[in-house]
Amino acid sequence: MDKKTPDSADRRNFLKLAGLGTLASGATVVAGAAEAAAPSQDAGTGYRETDHVKRVYETARF
Amino acid sequence: MSQSTSVDIAVAPEDTDRALLYGFVGRLLQTAPDAVDLKTLSGITPDADDVSPIGDALRKVTALAGEVDEAALKRQYHDLFVGLGRGELVPFGSYYLTGFLNEKPLADLRVAMSKLGIERAEGVKEPEDHIVALMQMMEGLILGNFGHEVPLSLCEQRTFFNDHIGKWASHFFKDLAAQDTSPFYAAVGELGQAMLDVETEAFEMIG
Repeated sequence: MDKKTPDSADRRNFLKLAGLGTLASGATVVAGAAEAAAPSQDAGTGYRETDHVKRVYETARF
Repeated sequence: MSQSTSVDIAVAPEDTDRALLYGFVGRLLQTAPDAVDLKTLSGITPDADDVSPIGDALRKVTALAGEVDEAALKRQYHDLFVGLGRGELVPFGSYYLTGFLNEKPLADLRVAMSKLGIERAEGVKEPEDHIVALMQMMEGLILGNFGHEVPLSLCEQRTFFNDHIGKWASHFFKDLAAQDTSPFYAAVGELGQAMLDVETEAFEMIG
């Protein structure tokens, strides 16, 4: 399996210039926001099913 | 970078940034941010020198997060995505590609998910081709959070992206950016659009 693909310097530089790192400085803050949002799962309001999609894919493993 | 995911060994910094952005856009669309989230969001200070479309859009999102009120945003979210029977926008791949929910694009996605070791969590009834689910899948595939537990190669990421996101998600983000129900979500649409543009171009560079 080629898990470490040949990642060209071009692509790396492009991503940097494209602002991909812009959010990185706020990374911990953002993660905190997600955590804070987690407990507010009140029933019956809002976007029901989607509320529940929360993180489910991240944790689904075999 | 202080993301404490269990698997961060083989992920390059720029790819961690990509995963972060996918996760970020996904979370913004998952449910309307509450007052605490909005305060946190408005506290994010994007690099002022960053004049990229992503930087621009992110500045709009964080600025508007400081202006919008929780209840108003919740209403806007409801009008956009929930509605009475249906919201203004229907953020599913199958709907954008065929005009109907649960058509072949969803079946194709399910095949890909099964190969990649991604399973819908118990109790979730919503089709997997929802934009939020796809953002989460990209995030997890980049970081290696799924069945294979190693980051998916860029070539395989590109295949997944082209097959299940690239064909339609730009149209959705464009629609989101164009609506006038919610300035905040219009900015989120711009951010998603900018991210997909960059992703599309970057995937073309991997040869």
